[in-house]
This record gives sequence, C-alpha cells and structure tokens, in this order.
Amino acid sequence: MQPARTQWRKQSRLVKVVMSFLIALAAVAGFAMAGAAPASAAESSVKGKSFTIATDTTFAPFEFREHGKLVGIDMDMIRAIAKDQGFSIQIQSLGFNAALQALSSNQADAVIAGMSVTDERKQIYDFSEPYFESGVQMAVAEGNTTIKGYGDLKGKTVTVKTGSSSEIYAKSIAKQYGFTVHSVDQSATMYEMVKSGNASAVFDDYPVLAYGISQNNGLKTVTPKKPELLRHRGEQGQERGAAQSINAGLAELKSSGEYDRILDRYLGKTSSSSAKTPVKASQPSFWQLVQSSMPALAQGLRNTLIITVLAFTLALIIGMVFGLMRISPNPAANWLARIYVSVFRGTPLLVWAFFFYFGIPQLVGHALPNWLWISSLFTLSLNSGSYLTEIIRGSIRSVDVGQTEGARSLGLTYGQTLRRVVLPQAIKIATPSIINQLVIMIKDSSLLLTIGFADLLYQAQQLYAANFRVTETLLMVGILYFIAITFLTWLANIADRRLNK
Amino acid sequence: MSAATSATIHTSTTPSPADADGFVVDARDLHRSFGSTEVIKGIDLQVRKGEVVCIIGPSGAGKSTLLRCLNGLETPTSGTIVVNGHHLGGRKTNIDKVREQIGMVFQHFNLFPNMSVCDNITLAPTLVAKIPKDKARANALRLLELVNMQEKVDAMPASLSGGQKQRVAIARALAMDPDIMLFDEATSALDPEMVGDVLAVIRRLAQQGMTMILVTHEMAFAREVATRVIFTDGGVIDEQGTPEQVFEHPQSERLQSFLSKVL
Repeated sequence: MQPARTQWRKQSRLVKVVMSFLIALAAVAGFAMAGAAPASAAESSVKGKSFTIATDTTFAPFEFREHGKLVGIDMDMIRAIAKDQGFSIQIQSLGFNAALQALSSNQADAVIAGMSVTDERKQIYDFSEPYFESGVQMAVAEGNTTIKGYGDLKGKTVTVKTGSSSEIYAKSIAKQYGFTVHSVDQSATMYEMVKSGNASAVFDDYPVLAYGISQNNGLKTVTPKKPELLRHRGEQGQERGAAQSINAGLAELKSSGEYDRILDRYLGKTSSSSAKTPVKASQPSFWQLVQSSMPALAQGLRNTLIITVLAFTLALIIGMVFGLMRISPNPAANWLARIYVSVFRGTPLLVWAFFFYFGIPQLVGHALPNWLWISSLFTLSLNSGSYLTEIIRGSIRSVDVGQTEGARSLGLTYGQTLRRVVLPQAIKIATPSIINQLVIMIKDSSLLLTIGFADLLYQAQQLYAANFRVTETLLMVGILYFIAITFLTWLANIADRRLNK
Repeated sequence: MSAATSATIHTSTTPSPADADGFVVDARDLHRSFGSTEVIKGIDLQVRKGEVVCIIGPSGAGKSTLLRCLNGLETPTSGTIVVNGHHLGGRKTNIDKVREQIGMVFQHFNLFPNMSVCDNITLAPTLVAKIPKDKARANALRLLELVNMQEKVDAMPASLSGGQKQRVAIARALAMDPDIMLFDEATSALDPEMVGDVLAVIRRLAQQGMTMILVTHEMAFAREVATRVIFTDGGVIDEQGTPEQVFEHPQSERLQSFLSKVL
C-alpha cells in the first residue's frame, strides 16, 4: 500500500542510550578521562560508576509505570545492561523533550527512549547500536468498519505524536490520500482522540500500538507495519568507552536470549515476527483501578501539596517585599518592583520552568543538587509573587488615606504607620484575593509535570499511559484536586478569621 | 518635648519654644497649588501661645489646606512655616518630632478600625514616646474621662457613634501632650445632636489654655470660644479680628455676604 520508495529508517529505541555516556565523559569528566582512557580502558571506566538515565514518561511498552514502578522494554534493557557491565543507574522519568534537554544541560548522563537515529541528532548526541526495529502502523476505533486502509482516509483526520516518525510518515502521504494530520503530545491522548471520534485513525509505532491494544485501549490495527530500515553507519566516537560498554552489554543480552525475553514480556510471543493484534488482557473494574492507582496518586498529591505550601510561603514574602517597594516613595525601588511584576506576569509559567530547570545548569556549566525541586519552587513562587505584589499594592492603596494621615499626625514614622496601622488593614482586605492566588497555584503546579516534577497530574499521566484508562484516571485526579483545594481553602479561611478578626 | 504623663491636659511644665516674636505658629507668604489651581495665594498667619484661632470662610477657600500645611500633611509650594521653633521642611527638621507637638483632629475622625479605643489612644505614646503600656493606659483612661468616654475604653471604633468617635479622636490627639491642637472641621460630619458633646470638649480645652487653630462652620461656637477669627476667601485672608469685630462689624463686602448666608 505504501509507496515503496519512501524508506523510513528508524532505529529505534536503543539509539538513544548512549548519548549520554559519551556526552558526560566528554563534557564533565572529559579531560580526566581523555588522557587516561584509550579503548582498552573502556570496561573499567564505567564499572562501579553511577549514572543518571533520563527517559520518556509515557511511552508504553518501552517505559511506563506499573504499580508505581518504572517498567518497560527500555527499562528492563538498561537495567540488564547496567548489571552486565557493572555500573549502577538512577532513572529519571522526564518526558521525551525534557530528557533530551536534561542531557544537554548535564542533568542526566544518558537518555534511553524511542528515538530514530538521524544525521541531525548524530551531530549532537552519540548513539548506541540500534536495538529495536520499529515501524509505523495505523489503527482505528474497535467498532470502526469503514476504514480498512489509507484509501479510506479521504477527508478524515489522522492523529500522530508530535516529533515522531509516524508524524513524518503521515504528513508525507497526507496529500496523496486526502487526510489532515493533527499532532498531539502523548500516546494516550492520540487513542482518546480516536475513541472519541475527534480523529478517525492514529499512526503510531507498532510496538506501542500493540501494547495499547493488549491493554484494551479500544483500538484495532488495520494496516501491516511499515518497516523502517536500520541504518548501519559507523557511530561517531565509537572508540569511546561508555558507548562500547553499552553496545557490549546489548550484544550480550541478544546472544543470551535475554533480549527476546524482554520483548516477549511486553509484546507477546508474536511480536518479533508479525504485527498481529496480541491477545487482550482482561480489564480491571473501576474500583480495582482506584485501588491500584491510589498509591501513585497519593504520592503525587503529596508532592503537589508540599511544593504548593513551600512556594506559596515564598511567594507571600516576595509579594510583600515587592508590594512595599511598589508603594515606596523611593523611585528606584518602585521601578525594580514594576519590572519584576511586568516580567513575571507577562510571561508564561512554562517558560520559566524550562528556563530554571534546563537553562540555569547550562549557564553555570554543571548540574545542581535538588534542582528539580528548587527550580519548581522558583518557578511557582516568582510567578505567583508577581500577582501577590499587585494584590498587596492594591490593598495598601485601598486603605483610606486618612488612616495614614491620622497616624502620621501623631508622630508615627512612615514605617511605623505602615506596620501598625496600614498593613493590618490592607492584609485584611487582601486575604480573599490571596486565598484565590493559593488555589490558582495548586492548579498551576500541575504544569511542572513538563519538567518531570512528579505531581498529581504527572502521576496520572504515568498511570494512563500504561493502562489507557484516561477518563477514569482523570476523574480521580479531578476529585483529588477538588478535595485538596477545598481543604486548603477551608484552612486558609480559618487562618483569615483568626488573624483578621 | 514631653509626652503626657500627667492627668491634666497639656499645659506642660516646659514652656513651649516660641520664636523671637513669641509665636508658636509663624507662617509667612504661603502659597499652595494643586496642578494649575492655586488654592492658597499668599497667607501670613502668626499664632501666640494660648490663642484660639477660628478660620471661617466658604468652601474651597483653602482653609483645610492651610491647616494641613501647619503639620506637614501638605507641603506649601512656597513660603516658610515655623512651628514651636522648628522650621518645617528645613533640612535639620524631623517632621515626625514636630508632629508629636501638634495634635490634629480630622473631619472623619480617622480612628484605626482594627484597634480598640484604648489601643487607638496608646499607640503613639507607647510606640513613639516609649511610655510603658500600663502608664499609657492609665493616661488614656484619664483622657477618656475628660471627653466623657471612659466606659468605652475597650470598645472597637465600629461600635461608636460619630460624636463618640470624634471625642475618642480628640483624646488620641491629646495623648501625645501636644502644644498646639488643630481641628479640621471636627463637627462637619456629625449628626446635629452629636455636635454639642464635641464642642463641649473643645470648649474645655480652650478654658485650660490650649493653643488651638480650628477650621469650622459653627459660627456661634467660633464667636464663643475664639480669641481671634480669620475669614479666608479665594486663597487669601480677607479679614480678621476679634469675634466681635468680625461678626458684629464686618468690613469687607465678601465677609458681609458670607455672614448673611450662614448666620
């Protein structure tokens, strides 16, 4: 069915790995290693070391969470390689783009994720040998009997994952078959689009589709997989130790049969030879889903609440300081506060999350400890602080000027007047808006999942990426947010009554 | 400067420092503009210790602005003001210190709604004059007695009537034992039946020899308590003199016309 000329090559998965090791050696340990480590030193150079491996969040069956634990083909593979080669790993589940960012900014030593080897990427990253041959396949909703091939797509919408080879492939044939391509961020989102009828079909990597269908995601495949050729170009920098040890570990897994066992574990026996729909697992009930999801969701809720409480405390201090500067007779202080507010109120939260988490380590040139939490804290508190600055400024301004005149006429200084007379009244006025801002922050904190902060919504994505129960999982998340916000609002109102009686 | 440590109102033991001519307030050639509007167009005002000066005149004549210039709540566009020997706006003058010597009572009371009556009165003595809390409270009680509000010592301002609020505000201004009291239309926002109580308090202060400058619309009261009445109109002092001179024998046409409307 496909034009034979278009030969897609993707070496999938494995590709990814090494980049990091090499980068880490070159950039961080580089000078020390370079002199001492010619090829023979390869094995010993990684033995006993610990590496941070960044990965995608939601790419079943390669990486996903089961009962809170990261599993999948990639995860089993990298653990097996690490064991075989004698180094230890710490896995960070960041999301695909964030993982690559983390690698560039030295937050991670390597990335393992589904990534085709392209020439552009080769210039930036060092790849291992490819370890999985993927291919694009098309799937439609289970009950759909009208779409049997590309020819039935005329006037329809096809959904694909942003930046994937499926996207490239779909776009290359879109004109020919007369369909439009709508790109989204996650596999689970694509399947929901098809199930809901917002898209008629999905193009995705066959192992991902196969796994999803085995988990009852409500789809069926309708085309054979479109194979991608492995590209066997010599990897640059192959003489470097880490790449070799990964490749060596990979070869070991293949020859020992462990490689096939891992694939079979996730794709079923048939996977390596054909693209048949695997046998379906039985679907757990909603209550079973609640039970199995709760530990991960509770962990996410805990992180959401902790980061919110910390960030809001900091935001209140920031808002108070800049709010006072904003009403200060000192023009320099006033302008500084003005600039702060317009910068942080005038830019999206996400931009700052990426800037702090990925940008700062690159600026200082090395990884920073606890940086995910610290950059999350900065992002939320500086953003919210800009709104609180305006809230506090406005509430100070709304206190009758007669209050200031009354106090000053008694001989109180500017500071005494502010502290004892104006601020207590201003804070009382500001309290409802401040509580509002707290609620907004709880919800905004979910944006931190884009840099891999394991909040409530992040945990939910992890769950539905593996079980494809998107609607039910989000329902649980919505209820948890609602309960948390209601509870915090209740606490804040009690504090309000105590302080502002 | 002494903060109130005695029960009597003011008449402190230290003589107030007056300038060479014996004036406690000496303002010369004051001008004050708001944008392009000049509301004070050259006013001279000298007040001696113990004088009770009432400023009358039509709305917008700059009466309140003049009063507010005297404790630095307004800054004159030009002119000099010397209060108790302190040159307002001078480089060495600490305006907060000067204000301790000048009590001010506002049309809208400006009580602090978040504090009890007692805390309203003791805030400045404890915070500025560093008087111990218990002593400040004892003094507050005596001042409340003077304004006949002692049973409201622990009430919150919101529970008081306008007249009661104003009497508390007077007690608050007196708590710093000022040498001069300024009243900015102290009875204008009150219901008629409340006015009498407030005027009674001011009358008592006058009898005790407090130096006072009042902006007022109470002509009968001005006539009764004032040692001098000043009539301002259009940003200048149009006429001044004893109450008898001003009210019985007004010279200028504008004063005559004003009095014919308000009396």
